Amino acid sequence: MIVIDKLCYYSKLRYVNAGEKFAYAMATLIFCLVSRSIAIALLVLAVNGILNVKTGGIPLSRYKTLMAVPLAFLFLSTIAIIINISKTPLDAFAIPVGSYYITGSHSSILYGIQLILTALASVSCLYFLSLNTPMTDIILVLHRLHCPLLLQELMLLIYRFIFVLLDIASAITTSQNSRLGNKDYKTSLKSFGSMISVLFIRAMKKSNALYDAMEARCYDGTIRVLTENYPPKKKEIIYIILFELLLLAAAIWRRFL
Amino acid sequence: MSKKQKKLVILAGAFALALGITPVANAMHIMEGYLPAAFCIAWGVICIPFLLAGFFSIKKSLQANRKALTLLAMSGAFIFVISSLKIPSVTGSCSHMTGTGLGAILFGPSSVAILGIIVLLFQAILLAHGGLTTLGANTFSMAIAGPFLSFGIYKLCMKFKINKRVSVFLAAMLGDLFTYCVTSLQLALAHPSDQGGVGASAVKFLAVFAPTQLPLAVLEGILTLIIIIGLESFAMPELKAIGFVKKEAK
Repeated sequence: MIVIDKLCYYSKLRYVNAGEKFAYAMATLIFCLVSRSIAIALLVLAVNGILNVKTGGIPLSRYKTLMAVPLAFLFLSTIAIIINISKTPLDAFAIPVGSYYITGSHSSILYGIQLILTALASVSCLYFLSLNTPMTDIILVLHRLHCPLLLQELMLLIYRFIFVLLDIASAITTSQNSRLGNKDYKTSLKSFGSMISVLFIRAMKKSNALYDAMEARCYDGTIRVLTENYPPKKKEIIYIILFELLLLAAAIWRRFL
Repeated sequence: MSKKQKKLVILAGAFALALGITPVANAMHIMEGYLPAAFCIAWGVICIPFLLAGFFSIKKSLQANRKALTLLAMSGAFIFVISSLKIPSVTGSCSHMTGTGLGAILFGPSSVAILGIIVLLFQAILLAHGGLTTLGANTFSMAIAGPFLSFGIYKLCMKFKINKRVSVFLAAMLGDLFTYCVTSLQLALAHPSDQGGVGASAVKFLAVFAPTQLPLAVLEGILTLIIIIGLESFAMPELKAIGFVKKEAK
């Protein structure tokens, strides 16, 4: 139902220590963001592409469609950055409309390209984390980072409930479809609304049932779960450190030389 | 065709094309890597007081009633699910609700802030909507600014005894619009325009996202209204359990 969640359980990198993956993704992300250089962005895009598709075993076609998810936002907001409407034409291009020009400057185009590449590289870092690490492992990393217990429990429960509710929602939608519930726009609005209200009632019932079940199993205010432990490997840590040092060197070189 | 008419046709064509290219009209999550580092940190810091308030209010209600934990978790999952479901749209494009307006009306704005940041984190990781570095900015616009405005408008309308259906519609729609304005402003502050600075840039971002966000806001209002009517007609006990109905009686 949720493609990314499904893929991450199949990933070949799933059993690599979650802390390592988290540290790699965050450090690379920060380098991309702070340096804002085209070279680093391209390097990160390539490395993450190889890591996800080749090492992680995510199908290339899937990876491509996933990378296209934020394109709509990227396209629209970059238009807003590049295009100016003013009375004086700028140096890169200018299309006259009445007494105004739709115009842009070379520097803003360069800025736009930089931004697009940085954003795509950052998204690839995010995908490296989410396509190879199941959510429960990420919550475990947050536990190591001393995230408040209440938030961890909420996250764990919400993660579980999302799938329960999605199941119910898809069953209701199927039965609405088979009863011509979406035959025109007005009916489909009505069906959607009633589906959500039924979903809400079911959610409340489920949450009561879950609480009763937990109470019956001696719930005393904290949820205790057993964790599987995959110790970090020295070789992987060294690779990660080397790569981050390479990025650091590239960033310094771009900035000061 | 005269020259002016030709231009008009081309302009209309470009407009239609722009709408066609954007099949995914999400509620505006700022994508990963789109804000400079300083802005990511700044928006995160601005969120902290709201999150703390939400955290303590949740903690207090948990001490009073332990059962609230599963209820809160279910509410969070509910917000996530309604924001990930495709809503019916005229053009066949794939758009989503924010769901935080409904959440704020039902559960109150301070708990929505905490649920919102968890939901946004899940949306970033599971759906690639938004991102880890832009979590602070997105939390501010979608889990704090929008819900607080929705809740305020709803309470204000209740106070002036405006028709309940109208007030639910207004709260959800204006909350969505406010989210869109705040996001545009966040983008403009991070990427000021060459000419005219932040102001001009904000106008441009507002204009570019208007064709997708304005209809979405109205749709969100209509859907929230239908959902609330549905809930009131056959979920009274549940509404009482979360304290939504009791507040009405006062």
